[in-house]
Amino acid sequence: MKIVILNGNPSTANKDLDHYLESLSRELAASGHSIQTVILRDKDIRYCTGCWTCWWKTPGVCVHKDDMPAIYSAIMASDLVLLATPVIMGFVSALLKRANERFIPLLHPYFAMREGEWHHRGRYTRYPAFGIIMAKGADTDDEDIAIITDIYRRQAVNFLTSLKLAFTTDLAVKETCDAISAL
Amino acid sequence: MRLVLYNGSPRGRISNTAILLDHFIRGFKASEENSFELMYLNQVKSHQDFAEKFRNAQAAIIAFPLYGDSMPTIVKDFIETLGTKIDSGKTPMLPALGFIIQSGFPEAIHSRYIEKYCEKLALRLGTRYIGTVIRGGVEGIQIKPLFLNRRLFIAFSSLGRHFGVTKEFHPIITRKLAGRDKMSALGRFMFHILKMTGLADMYWKMNLKKHGAYNRRFDQPYKPAL
Repeated sequence: MKIVILNGNPSTANKDLDHYLESLSRELAASGHSIQTVILRDKDIRYCTGCWTCWWKTPGVCVHKDDMPAIYSAIMASDLVLLATPVIMGFVSALLKRANERFIPLLHPYFAMREGEWHHRGRYTRYPAFGIIMAKGADTDDEDIAIITDIYRRQAVNFLTSLKLAFTTDLAVKETCDAISAL
Repeated sequence: MRLVLYNGSPRGRISNTAILLDHFIRGFKASEENSFELMYLNQVKSHQDFAEKFRNAQAAIIAFPLYGDSMPTIVKDFIETLGTKIDSGKTPMLPALGFIIQSGFPEAIHSRYIEKYCEKLALRLGTRYIGTVIRGGVEGIQIKPLFLNRRLFIAFSSLGRHFGVTKEFHPIITRKLAGRDKMSALGRFMFHILKMTGLADMYWKMNLKKHGAYNRRFDQPYKPAL
């Protein structure tokens, strides 16, 4: 399986999540998966400005000239996108969120009905599955994890795919690897 | 009442959020003793100053468009800044906190999940949660004739007037603004009619044509090579 890991840890001081992901990548590679990790804090990723250029001026292409195009290519060529983040103030990091909301060029503006709700139709015929790995902060509780998981489950519906995994780094690397391999 | 309002739209002063807030403020100002300050979170470098103003207000409202089923990044950036400024439950005199979430989707369900986060955020900061106003179907209001927006604007003005007196979102106005969480069977049928006639996507088609991009509307620039 081709797996892209988007590491949304903004901190160079606390690298616990980075170390977890490094171990996970080694385990996954040893299990025969192809892994590409993107450390988002090292990339130039600009804010989505809601300009709709990607929907009505240059369909599918964002107005920003930054590091996202390479990430788009990696995502669309993958089978699974693992979104990894520390939980900060009860939600994913602003860094991961910044990359995440730049996924919008991958969708099409036209509307479609899914699960009885208005959504946007896909630009592509196939999208990778989503997974999310969260590193709890000192103030993180189970409700925070449930809120994040619910929101990313919905986001997967938007992207015509499904959220296959929602784990915290409390789970041993080996068990996370096994769960991914079982997909 | 000293109110601070944060416009969390990346489009800032030209946003749909700005229009809704403008009508809210018109109502809020009806009580002469009320004062307010409006800040734009797309001015990311000013977040530290904006967080200081939060600490000195009696009420705060964060308004934002739905981005990827949650808040725009600039709002999350600001929340992280607030987190560094406030020692939860120990910082005295924090303002009561409310939210306004608007989206282009007609149903409220899209915003209900981040609404839970908003409520939890107030708890996390150790302040009173005022509530969350949800409004769908907002994208496109800037091209609609005024008569089609009139009821929406009056509702936001009434919401602001009530808030200016009570520091609460009026429950009936809030409920009416949100509308249905999910489409009714008739609504779903109407969606199919709108799709078949092309009206559902008229806004997008019009803008694709306006920008000379209609023939490229189905481009797939990141389609993987076989």
